[in-house]
Amino acid sequence: MGNSIFVRNRSVPIFIAVLALVALCVTFLSPAYGTGALSVSFTKVLGMTLCLCLAALAMDLVWGYCGILSLGHFAFFGLGGYMIGMWLMTARTEAVIRANLAESPIPPTEAEVSQATALQIFSVVGAEDWPWMWAVSDSLVLSLVMVVLVPGLLALVFGWLAFRSRVTGVYLSILTQAMTLALSLYLFQNDTGLRGNNGLSGLQNIPGAEAIGQERLSVWFFWASALALGLGYIGAAWLVSGKFGNILRGIRDDELRVRFLGYPVEVYKLVVFTLSAMICGVAGALYYPQAGIINPDEIAPIASIYLAVWVAIGGRGRLYGAVIGAAVVSLLSTYFTSGRAPDVDLGFYEISWIDWWPVLLGLGFVLVTLFAPRGLAGLFDYVVRRQDP
Amino acid sequence: MTRTALAALVGVFLALAAPLQAPAQSQPAADLQTLLQDNAELVADASRRTVQDILDILVDSQLPEVPQFLATWQDRELYQRNSDGLFVYVEDGDADPLTLIDISTGEVLGTAGSRDVTQLRPNRGVQGVIAATRVQFQLASDDPARRMAALDSIESDPEESHLALLQGLLDTETDPDLRARIEVILPALVIAFSDEDAPRVAAIESLSGNISLSARATLNPLLATRLELAEALPDGANIARELEPGSDALSREDAYEMLVEEGLAPPRVSRSDILSVLTANIVDGTVGGIPVAELNTEEARDRAYAALVAADLAPPAPSEADVTASLGSVVFFERYLEDSAAVTTAARETLDGIETRVGFYRFLDLSLDGISLASIYFLAAIGLAITFGVMGVINMAHGEFIMIGAYTGFVVQSLVPNETASLAIAIPLAFVVTFMAGVAMERLVIRWLYHRPLETLLATFGISIALQQIVRLVFGALTQPLTPPDWLAGSVTLNDVVSISSVRVAIFILAALFFVVLWLILNRTRLGLEVRAVTQNPAMAASMGINPDRINMLTFGLGSGIAGIAGVAIGLFAQVVPDMGTNYIVQSFMTVVVGGVGNIFGTLVGASMIGGLQKAIEWLNPTNTLAAQTYMILFVILFIQFRPRGIIALRGRAAGD
Repeated sequence: MGNSIFVRNRSVPIFIAVLALVALCVTFLSPAYGTGALSVSFTKVLGMTLCLCLAALAMDLVWGYCGILSLGHFAFFGLGGYMIGMWLMTARTEAVIRANLAESPIPPTEAEVSQATALQIFSVVGAEDWPWMWAVSDSLVLSLVMVVLVPGLLALVFGWLAFRSRVTGVYLSILTQAMTLALSLYLFQNDTGLRGNNGLSGLQNIPGAEAIGQERLSVWFFWASALALGLGYIGAAWLVSGKFGNILRGIRDDELRVRFLGYPVEVYKLVVFTLSAMICGVAGALYYPQAGIINPDEIAPIASIYLAVWVAIGGRGRLYGAVIGAAVVSLLSTYFTSGRAPDVDLGFYEISWIDWWPVLLGLGFVLVTLFAPRGLAGLFDYVVRRQDP
Repeated sequence: MTRTALAALVGVFLALAAPLQAPAQSQPAADLQTLLQDNAELVADASRRTVQDILDILVDSQLPEVPQFLATWQDRELYQRNSDGLFVYVEDGDADPLTLIDISTGEVLGTAGSRDVTQLRPNRGVQGVIAATRVQFQLASDDPARRMAALDSIESDPEESHLALLQGLLDTETDPDLRARIEVILPALVIAFSDEDAPRVAAIESLSGNISLSARATLNPLLATRLELAEALPDGANIARELEPGSDALSREDAYEMLVEEGLAPPRVSRSDILSVLTANIVDGTVGGIPVAELNTEEARDRAYAALVAADLAPPAPSEADVTASLGSVVFFERYLEDSAAVTTAARETLDGIETRVGFYRFLDLSLDGISLASIYFLAAIGLAITFGVMGVINMAHGEFIMIGAYTGFVVQSLVPNETASLAIAIPLAFVVTFMAGVAMERLVIRWLYHRPLETLLATFGISIALQQIVRLVFGALTQPLTPPDWLAGSVTLNDVVSISSVRVAIFILAALFFVVLWLILNRTRLGLEVRAVTQNPAMAASMGINPDRINMLTFGLGSGIAGIAGVAIGLFAQVVPDMGTNYIVQSFMTVVVGGVGNIFGTLVGASMIGGLQKAIEWLNPTNTLAAQTYMILFVILFIQFRPRGIIALRGRAAGD
């Protein structure tokens, strides 16, 4: 255990402990297993926040450690959601169709069930056949494989093209942004097979789990999200703590020098970019069953920019920074835009938080960038250094 | 050429047609009322046979009141006073008493009860003759607009008698627009009313090369076909083509369906028919001896159905071989509704020629669309070409400067109602407002981040969402109108195929102007020299006595100000909403990157390429602009792989890094 990741990276045990503590608290406050102080919808919000933290962690891997500012990471996140969404929608619709057809005097054939399911899912975009991309949607196992495989493959192809021709810095950011814009425009079309701007809906109804109820499901998904985040954190920490991490940091700080030292820079970049995309896919696959609906708007470029901003606010190049940034900003956003925050009455003008929150958020980005380039996590360093000179 | 051909063909037609009405007798031009009183019988008791006489008299009189009189008469709003037989108009037919109006002077003659006057109600036949005469009258009018109106009514409701009228007009007409109309309508009349092939073919050929919509609308119905089937091709029929069942034009299913409708073959039994027959024949939980629970495969259902057929409980289904045999026993063909082969052949050839020309003009139209889209992209990106391209600052709030420019235009327009004046104020004002905003942003934020380009991106993104929200709070989230002045509202039309809206022409001119002015500023002025010096090497420039801070501030302000003017232009045709900037930001960055960073010429090339490409893809799949955008972005991503520095890449030391 001397060389264990728990020892090498001091943040890992602390992070796992905090995460476990949060998970315990949520469980004891949840409606299904505890006092019920948290509503079902808020439990889901917390679970979704953990998924966003996982995506931010993946973002920190490529940006904070390797210097690749990807403005298209939500494309991978959304693709993960779409992959699991296809299975959720197919399985659930098929169950409903089977229940309906069971009442007919002659039992239905498999082809009839499949046809009726397709009609039910795609009639909203005027189609009635299964598009090719739904080929594996009837198998949970294959769909789970796709959750990792499809975002990974997209990242692999895109990264190979981009890194090979040495597109770096700002240009790469703009290209990744173009990638996610192209993907969302593609998905917005009704005839591309993923129901256009209707997206996939009803994802919160887990097939075969109707009897369990949303009260318990919401906690289960929270646990699953926490588990994924914990494993993701350990994996990422392990990755960046060894030689691989040193080379990544080297590429971030001076790519040319690392190349001249004989390291295949493209391969390192490609590996970390693809891994990060896969983690994002998993995060998305856990996020959207809790959100209940996914549509192409989720993949719009602005979402990916927000992801980058969370990481910047939390503090780059330290995994816990990304998690803190994502959790703090997204929870604050939820709080202020949900109407729970009390309005401030100045007498002559009443400040409505729903209206003014985006302004504050935007100015907050500017202030953090100008005055706290290391982000919120940088404040820890400050405190630690003061205590331990 | 066309004119002589037309004259010739009309001559042929007139020789063949029945002689037209007898020449009208000459009458001295007199008062309209007198004229009518002389022929009071003909007016009051007009019949289809006799009405032409009085109409001829009226036309010959050349009196100016005649058109209105005829219109009133035709609309059954002419009255005759019972006491003295005077013809009068009435102010309001429903009023009581009626107010009588003189037909010549328009003066009020007094009132009368409804029993004191007789309303003249010409029947439908008489109305038709009157209408034809009115057309004649209008065609003789001095006002081109009235002659055009007469042509409209001929085109919508053609009659044989119009032919001679139009022929007469063709000889005298000098207005080119009217001539063009006549040259289309005249052949259409010949085609519609002639019985002989020769004049009709000549008429068709006279339309050759005429790309107007009405020429195509005249020719297309001649080529209409009907799908028929027979045991053998009928002799002498004008057949367009024979169709093979199972080809693209006629599927086997449709062909067999026709056979069934003609009663020549038994209907097919579909899967749902089988299912309903099986459902109707469930006996004790089995169908045809097979348990219901086992009927969940097609194969089991077929067996059960066969058992039902054997027991005579269901009609036999024709096999695939039966279907093929039935289809083989007949021929399917399309027959022209027009019987004359000479006419359809001529129509086909003429139409093919026209389609080729239309295709050329379509291409021209598409190219204009492409250029117009390219100018919009250029306009949106040109400010960015300076701030990002020349200075290297990634300004995510660039789209918001465009938005602020558009809102400046909106505010000015709501204060100054005259659109032309408001536009003249809005353009410089938008520049000033966004210039100030840009300078403020540079001084407060961007100046501190020159060495951290990726963080500029985040900070300016923050500014972008804050600006959007502030504008939303002030102006609301709804679309605000920014109306172009009247002289920009229409469109420039070359012919029925090629047209482009005037706003787009203006945007093209504006884009060209921007390009020239910016190129001059950057390459021919002291400021441009200093800008280029500072971007290449700030420290060296500073040691030469240039103040880099001031230059950076001015350059950033210039780029932002240009975005503001672009915003006014874009607002004229796009929706002015708080988040309109986001629609342009990604495209603008791509335009600059594709074109090549560091010079505005590259931006021009990039915008042309992206705009032209997007239109070209749209042309391949015209219903789907989303797909065009998607493929265009994919192309850009691939393009960057091969030219990472853009089309026009700076070389040598200027390329920097």
